[in-house]
Amino acid sequence: MQESDHSIVRAVLAGNKDAYGALVRAHSATVFRVAFRIIGDEADAEDIVQEAFLRGYQRLESYQGRSTFGTWIYRIAVNCALNRIGQADIKAEFRHGDESDPREKTVQLAAREADPERVLLSGEISAAQGLAMQRLTPTEKSAFVLRHLEDRSMVEIAEILEIAPNAAKQAVFRAVQKLRRELAPLRGNA
Amino acid sequence: MNHLGDEEMVELYYEEGTSAYEAHLKACRQCSAQYAEFKRSLDAIAEVPMPQRSADYGDRVWANLKPGLIPYQKRTAGWHAWTNWRTAAVVACCAFALAAVFLGGRYWERFATKTTAVASNPQAAQRVVVVVLTDHLDRSERMLVQLEHAASNDPRDNTELQSEARDLLASNRLYRVTASNAGDPEMAGALDHLEGVLAEIANDPDLNAADIERVRRDMNTKGILFEIRVLRSRGSDKENGRRTAKGATIL
Repeated sequence: MQESDHSIVRAVLAGNKDAYGALVRAHSATVFRVAFRIIGDEADAEDIVQEAFLRGYQRLESYQGRSTFGTWIYRIAVNCALNRIGQADIKAEFRHGDESDPREKTVQLAAREADPERVLLSGEISAAQGLAMQRLTPTEKSAFVLRHLEDRSMVEIAEILEIAPNAAKQAVFRAVQKLRRELAPLRGNA
Repeated sequence: MNHLGDEEMVELYYEEGTSAYEAHLKACRQCSAQYAEFKRSLDAIAEVPMPQRSADYGDRVWANLKPGLIPYQKRTAGWHAWTNWRTAAVVACCAFALAAVFLGGRYWERFATKTTAVASNPQAAQRVVVVVLTDHLDRSERMLVQLEHAASNDPRDNTELQSEARDLLASNRLYRVTASNAGDPEMAGALDHLEGVLAEIANDPDLNAADIERVRRDMNTKGILFEIRVLRSRGSDKENGRRTAKGATIL
């Protein structure tokens, strides 16, 4: 696949624009997956897929083939998602409320004395989890998603986020600490 | 062995810990219980249900993308593609290049001796590196001091700080790798710590006072500032020592 991707890139750079379609088809699902995991919104994740492949095309001359095209476009997608996190409409997606209401995008964090059955409602838990994730910094959130959900090593995370391996490790560590702290009330009742 | 802290448990959970941690877990009931609770809490952070993409998703992405893409120029374009003005431009460029080579040749001998003297002097080259790195450490120190005193809640007030952090982040990465390759763990370690702070500041979409306070607290910026000051004074000492040894003042 790697060799074939490289030959496709050469074809695109030689003027065959349509060849890029094969790369888009091969890697769209992976790019969507990581974008959705970081951004948590389907429509935004789709936008990121478009943006990542557009940027990839525009920068294709800088692709030197040291990594696979899949890894390269993956990095671009993560960076697009990082930039997107900063937009206010996504940051403010969920907020605390008196009750959990997906339409209103509010979530009630359970108190320790709350009814355990209520706490265990999966929608509420995932909403609380979403809220806790939103409170992470972009670097912490991306590092955590890449480690916890995408199963990337610390070295890979450092390369993708363009930070030192130790900084990547610290970002994951801080994310874990914050998430555990935020989700402690749910654990207390579970 | 001491009890396992959160950091060790994170490493263990993601299977990046050492076997010593596992051995300790087997031997220590307290850590074993804490780790079991820690593991449960992280296992519970499950993925939000992933929206499924249909098999033709890639086709749809490509269909949206394709109209906006401009083909790369074919690199093997034939002579027939050349128009008269392009030919004229190439001729003019060639003439200009020839003139530049001729004039450059005339001045070359005059400057060659001086250039060779500087290039063949490793001390001079090293001095340049020290000066450049000292400049980077100076800027980093100023940024960290600024960070210590930043207290504005308005992200616009912190734009300058972020801009400086972004600038420094790129160069810091190069210096860190260079220091690491040159076998200078003290410098590499300090730049590594600094890089974490720079990345946090540079990537924060709307940096406010709470974010800054969090970075200061979580990443011990005062400690990093101290490290940078020590390293900067080390650089200055080197530079001064070299000046004294040579018995001359270098500006």
